[in-house]
Amino acid sequence: MSSELERRLGGMLAEAPEPERGAGEEALRRALRALHPSASPHRGLRTAVLVFAAAVALLAIAAGSLAAAGALHVSFGAKAKHRPPATTELTLPNGANGIAAIVDGRLSVVVKGGFRLQGQEATAVALSPHALYIAAGIGRSLVAMAPDGRRAWSHPAGGKVVAASWAPDGLEIAYVVRHGRRLELHLIYGNGRKDTTIDRSVRAVRPSWRADSLAFAYVAAGGKAIVYDVGHTSRRVVASRAAGDVRHVAFAPDGKLLALATSTAVGIVRPGLNELADRGRIGGIGWTGRWLAVVHEGSHPVVLLTASPQLGQLRPGGTIDVLGAEGHGIALAVSTSDATRVLAAASGDELRTVMRLPPHTSVRDLQLG
Amino acid sequence: MRRRFVRRKLRGVREPSDRDLVRRARHGDREAAAALFRRYWRDAWRAAYAITGRRSLADDVAADGFERAFAALGRFDERRPFGPWLHRIVANRALDVLRAERRLSDEELPETPDVSPVHALGDRSLLSAVAGLSLERRVVVVLRYGVGMTPKQIAGALDLPVGTVNSRLARGLEQLRESLEVEHVE
Repeated sequence: MSSELERRLGGMLAEAPEPERGAGEEALRRALRALHPSASPHRGLRTAVLVFAAAVALLAIAAGSLAAAGALHVSFGAKAKHRPPATTELTLPNGANGIAAIVDGRLSVVVKGGFRLQGQEATAVALSPHALYIAAGIGRSLVAMAPDGRRAWSHPAGGKVVAASWAPDGLEIAYVVRHGRRLELHLIYGNGRKDTTIDRSVRAVRPSWRADSLAFAYVAAGGKAIVYDVGHTSRRVVASRAAGDVRHVAFAPDGKLLALATSTAVGIVRPGLNELADRGRIGGIGWTGRWLAVVHEGSHPVVLLTASPQLGQLRPGGTIDVLGAEGHGIALAVSTSDATRVLAAASGDELRTVMRLPPHTSVRDLQLG
Repeated sequence: MRRRFVRRKLRGVREPSDRDLVRRARHGDREAAAALFRRYWRDAWRAAYAITGRRSLADDVAADGFERAFAALGRFDERRPFGPWLHRIVANRALDVLRAERRLSDEELPETPDVSPVHALGDRSLLSAVAGLSLERRVVVVLRYGVGMTPKQIAGALDLPVGTVNSRLARGLEQLRESLEVEHVE
């Protein structure tokens, strides 16, 4: 039996299914990008390597002598897996319940009461209402955590979660997960149960919930904005005067106004209203109270709009990379040549620095709760 | 191997060896790298599938495996065969992904592979039985019989003592034999 079984096992992989064609093409592209040409070794290089090795040996001997004399502490062993978080300052703006962001691929979260989460590798983050919980894409799972880091639940998502958004009533989370080349939109209960696939082909855009938690907007693979009605499990394509592929969607925190941004225009839509609100190279949009904040690419101020006309401007002094505006607060990641800062304001307070980061730090999923 | 030889003869042109392709790819020849990819993609994917039991994971794991292999091609000893080296990277990646998933989810991994029409035509009972093995046993069984690595090579790839590999293989085979016998009786 054993030899018969071993013979069958020998042909096991031949009986496995075939990979899909698309997966192979994407994998080939990725693999070719990783290819680093290396020069063939020659005498000059070998000499350089030998000289370098000799220099390292001399340094090691010198360090050893200093260590023996007690002038230098030398330690050996594996490098720590968790590098320190890039954020050197992390504070909560007055009047806010929490602030969260993905900084250089790691969580930076602080909530009321002083709890903070920093350094955990994550691909997306979403704050629950009142910032009582944090949902984060960690590995290939969607994980809900209390702000003290205790894990409430974990849902194997089958891929990297690239965007997530918690409903204003806290009962559901809409999230986008990558499955090979495809991005899928899912809906899961706030307790981590009953995961449902809503759309099998979407874009990596953060869904935005309507204030009543009965619907949310997302962007389908074709670049159209769609409003999904959770109660009726129906969907409606949103027609906007902002032409082109939609890059951002944002429901106003009160009422049913929906703002859509393409790369060149911002449109505002609700029953009986469909108008163009702004033009330019649009970097992001978000509502703060009844104001719609619009970020233009480059060193431009944030424009605050209602439906129209333009009502005011914020000038944070630098290039605005990311905007996070939900509810009654606003947060901006601003970069200058010597630093990246996150400025935030809540409940009508003035903008102030809440995170300090090294220059050129990447900030994503910035949210104020 | 024989099939590849026959194909080469039928075309009338000798295909470059793995060693030639590796040598050219490590000097930045993208065509050679793509040829290497096409030669091994299906086997690497199938190994990833046999270990993970899921198509979506197999896509990611095999793609990650190639990405890592190509990134490390400069350090690869070209006197050694490319296939086992690639499979070792893919198997380790599959283990990392499954362990991370299990650690994060605190849940058992799916025991049954995805069902697909192609799969249904093949030796389905065997693949399902392999998927029913624990992760530790499954990976050594796939590497030994699916990929053709020796216990010593598996031990080196997974950083395990050879004795542990042999014992997992023996227990895995015993479990497979039992589950296939049960199926046969039913």
